[in-house]
Order: sequence, then C-alpha cells, then structure tokens
Amino acid sequence: MESASTKRGGYNVTLECEEFAAGRNRLRRNRGRLEDQMRGRPSGFGNPWLQLGLSVLCVFVSELLLKRGATDVAEPDNAFSWTGINGLASPLVWWAILLIIASFISWLYVLRYIPITIAFPLSRAVDILVPLGCWIFLGELISTLRWCGIALVVIGLALVAKPVAQIEERL
Amino acid sequence: MSFLALFFIVVSLLSFVVAQLLLKRAMESTTTSGFRNRRFVTRVGGGIALMTISFFLTLGLLQRFDLSYLYPFQGLSVIFITLMAAIVLKEKLNMRLTIGALLISAGIVLVSLS
Repeated sequence: MESASTKRGGYNVTLECEEFAAGRNRLRRNRGRLEDQMRGRPSGFGNPWLQLGLSVLCVFVSELLLKRGATDVAEPDNAFSWTGINGLASPLVWWAILLIIASFISWLYVLRYIPITIAFPLSRAVDILVPLGCWIFLGELISTLRWCGIALVVIGLALVAKPVAQIEERL
Repeated sequence: MSFLALFFIVVSLLSFVVAQLLLKRAMESTTTSGFRNRRFVTRVGGGIALMTISFFLTLGLLQRFDLSYLYPFQGLSVIFITLMAAIVLKEKLNMRLTIGALLISAGIVLVSLS
C-alpha cells in the first residue's frame, strides 16, 4: 500500500489489483470459515442442527402454554400487569419458562457453531408450527391467506437452508 | 392500539434483537478463549437480562392482545437480526439469505393477518 502511494505512475493499477485480491481473499475466507465451523461440529446429540430442531420444538410448545397461562390469569385493568409479572401466578407459565430455559441452552449451543444469519431465520420455523399446531391439535381453521403466509415462510426457509445443505453434502 | 402498547412492543423487540447479538458474540468467543473469562460472562449476563426484559414485556402484552396480533412484530425480528448480524458481527450476507429472510418475515405477517 505505502509503496503504491509513493509511486504516482502505477498507483491506480496497483491499488485496484490489491483491492481485487483482498476482496477475493475475503470471499474465500468467509466460505472457508463456514465450512471449517461446520466441519468441527460434533455429531449425534451434539449435532447443532438437531439442537436447533429441539430448540424450535421447545419454543413452539412454550408459546402455546404461555398464551393459555397468560389468558388464565389476565388482569387487564391492573396497570402493574403491563410488566407481565402477575403471569407467574399460572403454573402453565412456569412450565413454559422451563421449556424456554431448555430451548435457550440448545440455542446458545447452536450459536457456537452456526452463523446467526442462517440459524435465526431457520429458528422462525416456529412461526408456521404454531398455526399448524392450532389446526392439528385444536381444530382451528386456517384461511387461504394464512396458507399463503405459511407457503412464503416455507420458501424463505428453503432459500436460507439450501446453501447450508450443500456444504453439509460436501463434507 | 395505544401509544403505550406500541412503545412496549418496540422495546421488547429491540431488547430481543440486541440480546441475540450479544449472545452470538459471547458464544463465538468461547471457541477461542473458553468459558472462564470475564468478557464471556458479561456478554451472556447482558444477553440473558435483555431476554428476560423482553419476555416479561411480551407476557404483559399477551394479557391485552391476541397472540396472532402480536406475532407480526416477532416476524420483524428476522429482518432486524439478519441486518444487524451483517452490520455488527460482519457476517456474510448474500442475496439468497436476504430474500429468504424477507420471505419469512412476509409469511409471518400474512399468517397473523388472517
């Protein structure tokens, strides 16, 4: 860099070459880093993708429990209840808290191995599990608009997950 | 919706996003410097504190609004976290990931609109 700036003649060419090389190296490093991270991941129960799935499952169940619990003990007229602390009176809320702690631990584990730009969008699979859960377990109806939304989320999830699946195949 | 409700929704969303970034930073540092150092403990502690704030605010909101009404705001967290991870954590963000995140958010909004 310094020698390039002192030589006026070849300045532009050298600088562009250096920038190009730096950009290429950065790209390689990024791709390499993701592959290295995934190569070093444990298998079996410690597999981060399995843990991501478990985390999503725990969040899914806890969301349903939280809504039930919060509705059971709701005091909309009490200003203090904006803090949500009165929700602790419901045992369902405590079960939900246990599940949230479990999902939190596996989520921390996931964060150690998977970039958050991939892990977080994938974790939002829970947003289609909740309405599907209501449809299957509670017999609620899903409107056409809602089905469209679910389809969009599935396409988005596939877009985020596909490059990762390809790296997995190569390893 | 009252101004107060909007305020709590935004605060809860922001604290959730910042908490995720802090936790990611903390867990990343464990691969090089292990769990027994002050940086890791402060970051995880900060992350957990922010998550707790976000949790109780959500619990308060759930007493007043339907889950389906509050959900679109959670959908926004996908966009926020993906963007902030690219900016703050310098994670690689390509076209595919961006479109994926946008579709997921749009889908979540549609699911809760109906």
